Amino acid sequence: MIECSHVYKKYKNGTNALYDINISVEQGEFIYIIGPTGSGKSTLIKLLDGEEIPTKGTVKVVGIDVGSLRASQVPIYRRNIGVVFQDYKLLPTKTVFENITYALEVIKMKKPQVRARAKEVMGVVGLGEKGNAFPHELSGGQQQRVAIARAIANRPKVLIADEPTGNLDPGKSDEIMDLLERINRKYGTTILMVTHDLTLVNKHRKRTVVLEHGHIVADLAEGGYVRHDQ
Amino acid sequence: MISRPIKEGFRGVGRHWGMALSSAIAVTITLTIISIFLIFSWHLHTFTKSVEYSMKIAVLIDSRHESMAAEQKIRNQIEQIEGVKVVEYSSKEQEFAYYLEQYDDAAMREAMAPFGDDNPMSDAFYVEVEDGDLIETIASQIRRIEGVSDVDYGGQTTIDMVAAMITIRRFGLIFVAALSVLAIFLIQNTIKLTIGARQDEITIMRNVGATNGFIRAPFVWEGMIIGVLGAILPIALTVYGYYALYERTKGVVFSSLFHLEQPMPFSAYISAILAVTGILVGYIGSWLSVTKYLRWKR
Repeated sequence: MIECSHVYKKYKNGTNALYDINISVEQGEFIYIIGPTGSGKSTLIKLLDGEEIPTKGTVKVVGIDVGSLRASQVPIYRRNIGVVFQDYKLLPTKTVFENITYALEVIKMKKPQVRARAKEVMGVVGLGEKGNAFPHELSGGQQQRVAIARAIANRPKVLIADEPTGNLDPGKSDEIMDLLERINRKYGTTILMVTHDLTLVNKHRKRTVVLEHGHIVADLAEGGYVRHDQ
Repeated sequence: MISRPIKEGFRGVGRHWGMALSSAIAVTITLTIISIFLIFSWHLHTFTKSVEYSMKIAVLIDSRHESMAAEQKIRNQIEQIEGVKVVEYSSKEQEFAYYLEQYDDAAMREAMAPFGDDNPMSDAFYVEVEDGDLIETIASQIRRIEGVSDVDYGGQTTIDMVAAMITIRRFGLIFVAALSVLAIFLIQNTIKLTIGARQDEITIMRNVGATNGFIRAPFVWEGMIIGVLGAILPIALTVYGYYALYERTKGVVFSSLFHLEQPMPFSAYISAILAVTGILVGYIGSWLSVTKYLRWKR
């Protein structure tokens, strides 16, 4: 589902962000990418969602060579993936329901389908009653649920979560993890989650890829991680 | 039902109404000047055409060549010159009668009439040319024909005036182009502000798979709405202002040679040009702005 082979990324300003990255993620897998700030996690996400092009090597997601896409093809490609951010990125002037329908209208889904699907995903994330609420009326955990609902509304095959629990307390983080695991199991969505919350990684054990200074330093199939410098 | 990009476009105008207003005012000023320029240019064009059309070369014949055969020979030579359309003959008697007609005062005409007995006028040819630009060259060619005593096309000042007006029109065109660029630039900046305010939304749109065209559409509409808003006043000024001018002058300015066009459909055509220009300026300004923003992002 995700295939990175010999991926290097050097930015125009000369910063080397990634060196010889090889990752293969099967369909329906749930993996963590962990590492300290500046380890290349964000660059990896940018390569996966098509925002950046690898300097060397290939990045394939759902069989598409993301690096070779023309700029105009990138939006169409993105319809295959859902992205969840640490800061939720919800539109503050739109209600929960509108935030979700908006994402579907953007890809020109038909109106009746849009409404039905939005209601469905709101149920999935447990916010069936909050459709008319505005983001500022919700807790951080609830806002992240809305963001997840929006990300899966288009039934993406891959869900990329960039520090989805970064702004949440441990209790709410657990709830978000439970939700992501449920989505992974129920819909077979491949999930790649970037985090530096080691407590979470050790509690909800899954395959864990560790990045440091742009290199993969560990790929632990059984999950769990203890920092070697501690 | 209004479609999404148009609705969003209006919302954008409302959100930055101050900037939108200043851009619209720039468009208004530009279009007002364009309107004046177009009305001036069009009338100059018709005026020039009518002047050129009615301009004839008067060829006076030397008294020693007044025989029919000699005059026919001169006529043939004139007719052979390229660009000559019609050659008309006017006898010295006709010429004298025409001369008398120039006097508005009947008493004066009577006083002059006896001079006809010893007619001081010459036989003449009046030559119409196909193109006003050729008048000077043809006149000098005719002057070289034997038996021609003088050539006059009487309109040198008119020609100079028309030439001066054409020069003014040329500079006007440059001025209008510069103003249009300024209006485009102002709209571009307004849209840049809107983009700044909606950056998060654009990021989200990109992330959920909106194409650049989809993202661009509301901004382009916003630019076109500003263009239309800016065109309202110039159109009103054109329609009412031109009508008032026409009523006041009864359609004749300076001389009977210079006629104003009927207000309808003339002002409607000018209005249509203004509306299209306003929309185009808005479209180009906003398109440049969004494209510049989107080009650097994947």
